[in-house]
Amino acid sequence: MYKHLAVSLLALVLVACGQPEKPTFTFTAIPDQDEARLIERFGNVADYLSKELGVEVKYIPVKSYAAAVTAFRNNEVQLAWFGGLTGVQARLQVPDSSAIAQGYEDQFFVSYFIAHNSTGLSENNEFPQDIAGKSFTFGSKGSTSGRLMPEFFIRESLGDAPDNAFSRVGFSGDHSATIALVQSGAYEVGAVNYKVWEDELAQGKIDTSKVSVIWKTPEYLDYHWVIRGDTDSHWGKGFSDKVQATLLGINDPEILAAFPRSSFVAANNDDYQAILETAQSIGLLDQ
Amino acid sequence: MNNPRAHNTTASHYRHISLVLAGFALLAFFLADIDITTRSPGTELGRILAGLIRPDFFATDHLLQATLFTLSFAVQGVALGAAVGFVLACFWHYRSVRMASATVRAIHELFWGLIFLQLTGLSTLTGVLAIAIPYSGIFAKVFGEFLEESNSKPAQALARNSGPLSTFFFAKLPLVWAQFKVYGAYRLECGIRSSAILGFIGLPTLGFHLETAFRQGDYSAGAALLYIFFLLIISMRGWLHARLIPIYLLAALLYAPPLSSNTGASLWRFLSHDIMPAPLRSGYSGDLTFSRWALDLVSQQAVPGLVNTLVLGSAALLMTGLIAIMILPLLSRHFSGKLVRSGANIFVIMMRTTPEFLLAFIFLLALGPSMLPGIFALALHTGAIIGHLTSRIADQLPIPSNSARGLNRLSFEVLPRVYGNFLALLLYRWEIIMRETAILGLIGIPTIGFYIDSAFAEFRLDRAFFLIAVSVILNLSVDGLSRTLRNRLRLHA
Amino acid sequence: MFTFEHHTLRKQGVVILDDISLHIAAGERVALLGASGAGKSTLLQLMREQHPDEIAWCPQDGAMVPPLSVFHNIYMGSLDRHNALYNLRNLIYPKAKERRAIRTIANALGIGEKLFTSIDRLSGGQAQRTALGRALYAQKETLLADEPVSSLDELQGGNLLRHTLSTHTTAVIALHDQFLALSCFDRVIGLRNGKILIDQPAASLNHDDLLPLYGQASPT
Repeated sequence: MYKHLAVSLLALVLVACGQPEKPTFTFTAIPDQDEARLIERFGNVADYLSKELGVEVKYIPVKSYAAAVTAFRNNEVQLAWFGGLTGVQARLQVPDSSAIAQGYEDQFFVSYFIAHNSTGLSENNEFPQDIAGKSFTFGSKGSTSGRLMPEFFIRESLGDAPDNAFSRVGFSGDHSATIALVQSGAYEVGAVNYKVWEDELAQGKIDTSKVSVIWKTPEYLDYHWVIRGDTDSHWGKGFSDKVQATLLGINDPEILAAFPRSSFVAANNDDYQAILETAQSIGLLDQ
Repeated sequence: MNNPRAHNTTASHYRHISLVLAGFALLAFFLADIDITTRSPGTELGRILAGLIRPDFFATDHLLQATLFTLSFAVQGVALGAAVGFVLACFWHYRSVRMASATVRAIHELFWGLIFLQLTGLSTLTGVLAIAIPYSGIFAKVFGEFLEESNSKPAQALARNSGPLSTFFFAKLPLVWAQFKVYGAYRLECGIRSSAILGFIGLPTLGFHLETAFRQGDYSAGAALLYIFFLLIISMRGWLHARLIPIYLLAALLYAPPLSSNTGASLWRFLSHDIMPAPLRSGYSGDLTFSRWALDLVSQQAVPGLVNTLVLGSAALLMTGLIAIMILPLLSRHFSGKLVRSGANIFVIMMRTTPEFLLAFIFLLALGPSMLPGIFALALHTGAIIGHLTSRIADQLPIPSNSARGLNRLSFEVLPRVYGNFLALLLYRWEIIMRETAILGLIGIPTIGFYIDSAFAEFRLDRAFFLIAVSVILNLSVDGLSRTLRNRLRLHA
Repeated sequence: MFTFEHHTLRKQGVVILDDISLHIAAGERVALLGASGAGKSTLLQLMREQHPDEIAWCPQDGAMVPPLSVFHNIYMGSLDRHNALYNLRNLIYPKAKERRAIRTIANALGIGEKLFTSIDRLSGGQAQRTALGRALYAQKETLLADEPVSSLDELQGGNLLRHTLSTHTTAVIALHDQFLALSCFDRVIGLRNGKILIDQPAASLNHDDLLPLYGQASPT
């Protein structure tokens, strides 16, 4: 009877002697869309970077925006493809890290407000004041295009926090889910990343007789690459510059499709001051 | 007796407490936000149904890997939890041990997972500890109670100076070992569920892909994952043998060694900075005082979260009871033929295996955002479990086949006999329902779990820690209340 | 060795032992008789407490550990002679030396071939022999036993009792079998309702003298 117990204990002790493996240059990306294919999409990117940088590069998938930032903070990843807000959060947690590149489209990113057609709302250039009192879903709590900027414009135009301005407020978790929830009418209105909307529309996943775009937000900066400040000390002097140059030099359409962006352009921390201030103004970050 | 209504029967006690609970729960329903707001759920539900009918087993990358991780985390977590729980159980007579185990099990695995993500990152260690810590509290309680209730005569028969260790291993442990094993097997089933669910927060288990598939509307892939998950649980009876456990444990340890590259520095940072309320941190430059910080947190998050959790949990408790009683006749040999029973059994297994999160998500699409999806999800899950356990007790009752049938048999022959067990199970599950409301916070139902998740998403670990402490107090209170009621009614499950 | 002077014991207001005065010297073999509830078990318990470390103890109903084997249950008599590690080792994988010693005891008790069968698979009689085995393996000079042969027939019980008595210098054994009490012991103490009714050498008693212990008048 006790033999099983004894063997189990022995097994536990044996493993306590394991060795942690040698670190590999690792990156992650916030899971904003098409999560089922994350490993496939970014696996290609890892192979590409590995070839260009001449070191082993690994991608690890994360489940949430917060997990991406935590992994960056804990040095589980040294490089990350963040959204505007997550990038700012990450740099607050790892003070010497820096933004090195952003997507071409991210220089003038927008969010779409989408509504179930039974609401009778239609596309307009002005902020849709009529959404007050309706049910509303954001995307992830840490999303720039699905949370931060929409909430900022809502507060600005409706003069109230979302909890008070709407009958009900939800967080769908990601952009695809936002579209599904508004399309089913579970929420009447939602805010979504325009790239994701356009992608899903092109793939025929959206039934426009049920859900349509009612407003485009003004432009803002969004996704960008952030690298940890202590990278050079592990991978050699000038390594982060090399990473930056490699990212900016990507022109293979297949690699770019993973993001999906047409190319990458240089970026630096100061570009995101406006995002930081916006996040502070709505209480997402402490002053 | 002057007053013919003054009953002094066991049944009247049960009736009384049931009415009080039901009244309380009805009040909760009245306060709960249960509007049906959805407008065109047909399309999405149709797609879910189509996905369930035509599962796609090749849509998910690394399916085998996810399955093996799920099992590895579960086996290691449950083994470690059982070992620690076992040691704690030996000191069960100390109040501090009982309090500590109650506290660690009052925190949901998911929250342990979120905490360890900060400390040990996306590693096997995080998955193992997130299961092992709450489970050690549960094991400690169950093992402790087994030991307490075991026959003390053999130990008293030994020579007085036989030593505590020898006495324990010869004259105490063997008496409860069989019970330990049965309970351990049940816990491993729970562990596989917990392990899968930890995927929701990013660990590489089945839940990772399951949640993704459902959230992305890829229901064929989701259905395939769900079926694999069912298969793991249902097939357990075939592969879980005591003699194989060391082999499984060893395999799990080799496949996913519970290691993490960063702990020391992040642990210190976590304790000294992260969970310290922001205004008390060194170098804090804001203008918030600690009392202002705490007051805001309590009034804007803790109190609304607690109220919603209580309301949702109580409403779910009532519906759980109703569902259990409705399922009971379908599961019991006193009412149903073989065919109906097997059908109902499959339903019960599916309901208790499917993560509540998925049930809630499907109801969310069908009914719109309110507490209703959460109430249905919790009630179906728990109702199925209680219905199943109650029917097993009912089936042991000898009821003459010529006695009343149908509703009469249910209300006069069966229910009065099993109602004590039923109430005990329901009260026992109350604490668990409260704990599980946490998970619903992740899909946006504003329970205390919602605010905890938000705090993690905003990297305000100080707030997360505070709110987790609040939820622990709530769970401990509900546990205490439920125990008081059970003792007063002298109920045993 | 055991001494009581006007000892009275109450439990929850009920008198269990009533003004007991008693002296048992080392080397005596005493049978304790009385109807159930007369106070025999309590008296034995008190005697055990007078010399807790010098007693081989065989309680009523055996108090065995049912899932463990005959070997382990007998081995339990010796737990106080070894350190915990040695005991654990024998729990998991018994040493040959212990096996031999315990097999000898088990053979003498007639349960040798059941050595590695668990108690919950034995008959009541076999379990009772195991309980005696545990007391024997305690290897003490003094035996206190409470109805150790109640599940055995008179012949087997007598043989076992004589074997047990031969390995201890002092023994106090509660019995319900009056024949065994009179034939195997030096002295008989009879209890009724917590009082000592009889305390005489066994040789001076006959069957009829014992009847008052069971509420029957002795024929005059």
